[in-house]
Amino acid sequence: MREPIVRAAGLAVVVAYAGLIVWVYARQPQTLAQVTGGLASSVGAYHVDAQSFADGIRFFRRGQFMEARAAFERADPAQRDARTQFYIAYACYREGWGHFYNDRRLLARGLEAVDRAIALAPNGRLVVEDDPDLQMRSADELKAELQRGMQRDPNPLHVFRSRK
Amino acid sequence: MNAAREALLLPVMFLTVTLAGGLSLGPPVSFSPPPLFALILAALLVAALFRSGVLVPAGLVDASRGPLANVNGAVVIVTLFAASAQAFHLLTPAAGLPLLLFDGFLLVLLLNTLVTYPDRIELLRSLMVIFGSGFVLKFVILAALSDPTGGRLKRLLLLAVEGATLGTLTQDPLPPAAGYIAFFTLLLFLIAVWALAPPQRHTANWRLKIED
Repeated sequence: MREPIVRAAGLAVVVAYAGLIVWVYARQPQTLAQVTGGLASSVGAYHVDAQSFADGIRFFRRGQFMEARAAFERADPAQRDARTQFYIAYACYREGWGHFYNDRRLLARGLEAVDRAIALAPNGRLVVEDDPDLQMRSADELKAELQRGMQRDPNPLHVFRSRK
Repeated sequence: MNAAREALLLPVMFLTVTLAGGLSLGPPVSFSPPPLFALILAALLVAALFRSGVLVPAGLVDASRGPLANVNGAVVIVTLFAASAQAFHLLTPAAGLPLLLFDGFLLVLLLNTLVTYPDRIELLRSLMVIFGSGFVLKFVILAALSDPTGGRLKRLLLLAVEGATLGTLTQDPLPPAAGYIAFFTLLLFLIAVWALAPPQRHTANWRLKIED
């Protein structure tokens, strides 16, 4: 093989590899699925699993939030879809919310998921218009509600609040 | 230097060290960039490689070479620096007194290597000693001292340092795979540095030039 071809091909490979390393350090993926999903989404080739997402929605509407989260996580293993991350956060909120006691561990997980959803949405704005089951349609409302739930609330009248 | 080695093999090896050097298995898994001190150590190492003739900049970037060859040569130098920084980052403990001691130990060793003006073989041997001893200290001795379950080696070490407090020495426990990944990363780095070195005859000419 001619030397310039070897040099040009080597340079292309090295530039691509260096790009991958910069991406890994910037994004900090936790699993191989996040690596492959992140790379696929960067070239517009990433899609959520529609069947698992539909399963998640069905579980969510029945109030089976643990099952819903499992289905949503299966639908979006790379955590690259804003809408799926929004539903994961909502499932954490509904399961973790209580009149007398909030499960802060679950709400914290919800907060992480809604932060991911906001980061993934175009211009950070995410509104889910087409689901009548939701009382909070935007990621901003959900995030604020999750943050309120994380705070210790000394007001006894707040036990009369309702879950959204 | 062979075009394939210069354009592909060496940069890929150095980049792999750069990637694996910052890997922390956690949990959670994370990739951390090198601290500032690792950059200083890497600069000293590159200077030592240059002085010993292992790294010959004129053989990588020179007016007599074509533009593409010069870009390939510059990539080798840049990736060598990045890999050196991550190799030192990998060798140093995360925090506490060991971090201070290791940084001091590596700085003195590198300065000593720099001023003794070793030839190619001597420098490669010196690097093996530096990286080998650093690996044993961090991934065998410190890891044993920080092991919460307390193995036989920990009991032996505790006996040896009887009366000393371990509060400032112990680190977060390392996952079992961390030592293996570190070993192969450092081995790859040493192989890449060895492959970087030109044949002995050219090294000798380069040394003569510097001495003139």
